Amino acid sequence: MMTSLHRIHVLAMNTYREAVRDKLLYNLLLFAALMIASSILLAQIQIGKDERIYRDVGLSSIAFFGVLIAIFVGINLVYREIAAKTVYTMLSKPVRRWEFIVGKYFGLLSLLAVEVAIMSACFLGVLVWKGSEFSMGLVWAIGLIYLELALVTAIAMFFSSFTTPYLASMFTVALWIIGHLLTDLRSFGKNSDIAGLKELLEALYWTLPNLDRLDFKADASAGKPIDFARAAMAACYAVLYSFGLMAAAVLLFQRRDFR
Amino acid sequence: MTETTIRTRGLKKTFRVGFWMRPVEAVREVDLDVRAGEIFGFIGPNGAGKTTTIKVLTGLILPTAGEAWLREVPVSDPNSRAKLGFLPEGTFFHDYLTGREFLDFHGALLGVPKEVRRERIPKLLERVGIAGAADRQIRRYSKGMRQRAGLAQALIGDPDIVILDEPMSGLDPLGRKDVRDVILSLRDEGKTVFFSSHILEDAEVICDQVAIILSGKVVKQGYLDELLGQELLGSELVVEAIPESLFAELRTTAVRAVVQGSRFLFEFAGESDGEKALDRVRSQGGRIRSFVPKRKSLEDLLLEGLAQEKTR
Repeated sequence: MMTSLHRIHVLAMNTYREAVRDKLLYNLLLFAALMIASSILLAQIQIGKDERIYRDVGLSSIAFFGVLIAIFVGINLVYREIAAKTVYTMLSKPVRRWEFIVGKYFGLLSLLAVEVAIMSACFLGVLVWKGSEFSMGLVWAIGLIYLELALVTAIAMFFSSFTTPYLASMFTVALWIIGHLLTDLRSFGKNSDIAGLKELLEALYWTLPNLDRLDFKADASAGKPIDFARAAMAACYAVLYSFGLMAAAVLLFQRRDFR
Repeated sequence: MTETTIRTRGLKKTFRVGFWMRPVEAVREVDLDVRAGEIFGFIGPNGAGKTTTIKVLTGLILPTAGEAWLREVPVSDPNSRAKLGFLPEGTFFHDYLTGREFLDFHGALLGVPKEVRRERIPKLLERVGIAGAADRQIRRYSKGMRQRAGLAQALIGDPDIVILDEPMSGLDPLGRKDVRDVILSLRDEGKTVFFSSHILEDAEVICDQVAIILSGKVVKQGYLDELLGQELLGSELVVEAIPESLFAELRTTAVRAVVQGSRFLFEFAGESDGEKALDRVRSQGGRIRSFVPKRKSLEDLLLEGLAQEKTR
């Protein structure tokens, strides 16, 4: 087990190193920082709602750019190993295929942690500069954004373990959008007269990743108190769902031939 | 008796290709026995099944049928690769890493302790001839340098078995000689080297044993001197300053006679015609430039195998 942990650590560190040498990451981070800073200009348009705008724009930017990095950097990192055949020299060592997948995943999670920390620092900078309060609610919201990114990364890794980066990106983006609309879709199904639609949307609600559960941005931004039990449940949900997706990715990867 | 380090029995691999998942047999019947401390050449034309067999041995492809072992451990067990060094065909490496980082990463993956890596990496870079480019990113390496970096990667774990897939392909003559020298030095260190190649001259120079694979099937396997034998197939004679009458005479017994400026080239079949021609040139005062007896080569062996395959 110790050697497995060692190999996962080596693979994760290399994944992290590969990502931080990718120019795409810096472009996305720059845009995120500009977006967060733009909240200062936007606040001048809406008089009297400055604090709300700083928080809305800040949290949304962290979530949006985080998802972009998770999907596009994440998918490329896995697929590139296969397409560029760099996987050959790694899997021809006593590296288990599950170690490879888990190592890649933890490497991406480390990258996302650093990236969320940088964007949060920009966000905090804006709040401090404008004398706005940084509440515990915001910490929870950012923490759950990170868990959403971890879940999106698991979705991306699941798809990229058996399909092309183009299709994996499409499927992941589609699931991310649907994942935020599941509650609305379920309500729509309940009020619908179309035969079978209610059951179908109900089934989708319970099987697809419900990303709305992890969304505490609105409450945190409005300064409402956070329901810690709900937040803790949401965190458990994200961790368990990610674990399930990673297990499926490992199963698919296990039988794959590298031709 | 020498221990067998690589063994396969009834190895088969069928790929499913295209929309209709048409079955294609890449490897049909491969039984190999590679002994410890020897250089084993896996010879065959492109598309014969060499790379597929190697990928089964290195755990990259699962066989459809049959079994394979490295040091008596089934290749389905990742531990079989604990003392394996592998250089894949082509130079597909993490090119954002420098040569030194690349070796450090692969060493770490094999569990080589940090202090051993620190000591071993400069020596390996020196051994493969890229010590001067140790801190340059691999994406800035030439193809030959990438191949050398790949070879160093295969050796970072001090393996017992080294599998090299087309290690000479794409290299210039100097690079090929360097790789040959590394392979020979590995044998001197007691390591087993299994390499695939379609460059027959290289294999003939360095191999102890060879296996010839055609259309996914091993058609010949054994020690080179046993397979090629000592029988003289013919000879090639190059001479100067011979009278025209002698040229006409030798031409009748030669299978080929060519005039190259002031030189005359003759090719003779069998053992005796060449020897007789040599005596005639001497007796007539001609100058002998070269006399090369021709024995069976790997190329002849491969062509024989191909001809047999066609008649089946």
